[in-house]
Amino acid sequence: MINFEEELKKFQPSLEIEEAEDAIYNQDLTDMTTILGELLKEDKEEE
Amino acid sequence: MKCYKCGNTLTEKDFCTSCGADVKIYKKIIRISNTLYNQGLEKANVRDLSGAVICLKQSLKFYKYNIKARNLLGLLYYEMGEMVSALREWVISKNFKSKKNVADDYIREIQDHPNRLEAINQTIKKYNQALLFCRQGSEDLAIIQLKKVLSLNPKFIKAYQLLGLLYLKAGDRETAKKTLQKAVEIDVNNTTTLRYIKETADGSSQDEGKEKDKKGTSITYQSGNETIIQPITNGKISYGFSSIINIIIGVVIGLAISIFLIVPARTQAIKREGNKSLIEVSDQLAEKNAEITDLNSRIETLNQEKAGLTEEIEKYESDEGILQEYNYLLNAVSLYMQNKSDVIPIYEELSKISQDFVNDNASESFLSMYQLINDDIRTKIENAYVNEAYSAYKAQDYDTAVTYYSKAFTINPENAEALYQVGNAYRKAGETAKANETYQKVIELFPGTKRANDAASHISE
Repeated sequence: MINFEEELKKFQPSLEIEEAEDAIYNQDLTDMTTILGELLKEDKEEE
Repeated sequence: MKCYKCGNTLTEKDFCTSCGADVKIYKKIIRISNTLYNQGLEKANVRDLSGAVICLKQSLKFYKYNIKARNLLGLLYYEMGEMVSALREWVISKNFKSKKNVADDYIREIQDHPNRLEAINQTIKKYNQALLFCRQGSEDLAIIQLKKVLSLNPKFIKAYQLLGLLYLKAGDRETAKKTLQKAVEIDVNNTTTLRYIKETADGSSQDEGKEKDKKGTSITYQSGNETIIQPITNGKISYGFSSIINIIIGVVIGLAISIFLIVPARTQAIKREGNKSLIEVSDQLAEKNAEITDLNSRIETLNQEKAGLTEEIEKYESDEGILQEYNYLLNAVSLYMQNKSDVIPIYEELSKISQDFVNDNASESFLSMYQLINDDIRTKIENAYVNEAYSAYKAQDYDTAVTYYSKAFTINPENAEALYQVGNAYRKAGETAKANETYQKVIELFPGTKRANDAASHISE
């Protein structure tokens, strides 16, 4: 049985055009390669 | 594939040939990203859009520079009606790879149609508004708003889902199912959509699970944790009988509509047609009447003309008519041509011609002919009458003698001898009174002459 209130919480406002710029700038672009690079960098610093 | 450290193109080796960096794990990460992209592409090909989105998002989490994955993700957002999310992905893609990037075409396509972009943006605003209505408890307003959204942006998956959810809450499972089916046509394997559809099916099965109690006076079914017992208000009425009643009511209503609405309207239409025809016929009749009146007046005029002409013809043809005058002249001419010395019949014919006609109406040709003959016989006619009278007198035909002597005197009133001989003829005929009267006239008209004395002596006898 669906709980309406709980289901409603899952719906988020859709992005409007005015918010596009912020959405692009605030996009989290961290990926595995970034993390890998940081790990390797940290590893090198420890050495 | 390029080295994450120096940017040099990598080979099949597990290290960078330029900087010597270990790229074994790096290559595995990119391989996973590509695999996820392929999976996303496969899902997208079968319209499992939400599944494809998940795969592509994961692909980008492994390797953010996977341009193909990012462009495809943007395309999927676009297909699902989320234009801004699509733009976001394409702009980032363009930022990562500025040349030979298909995202460039997508962005340009949107920029070339600003009206469409604005329209879709309005639908997004309305969707957000509808979501706000839902959270404020105004589901009815939200439903109205979402219907508008979907009429303008019929690929907006989230709007279908929210509308379906609202219908579900309102208990309208059938409409919810129809709405969600439309979402499934766009995104076949969206878990949220499928879950809601399943909910509509569960609701239906619950409805089917209604059971009548043993006596058949109520229906019992389970709704969640509650057991609902619904009484049957009139279980004895069969659907067949009620259908017949409904059909009869329908027929009665239909007949009533026919009688009170259609028939009067039709009657009015027929009357209008009839009146129109009547007016046309009346106009034609009036026109014909006018023609008849005109023709009658013409007939009357023609009759009058005919009467006038007939009268004129009669005048010509009558004894005193012009034709008759011409006839007399022609007769005289004919006689003159046969024997112009026999002047008496010629003169007799000319005498019949009216002097009024000769003076007033005769044509020039008539007059010339008349005068020609008349002049020729004028000098001869007196003697001719006298000769004829004398012959008759000798033959003791005194009546004829009287006639001819009288005519000779008429032609020449100075002819005392002719008048005197008229008296003698009367006397010989034994008509003494007329003889004396004629003698008396001789005495009066020619006094002192020999014939006056002779007349006086005859009177005294």
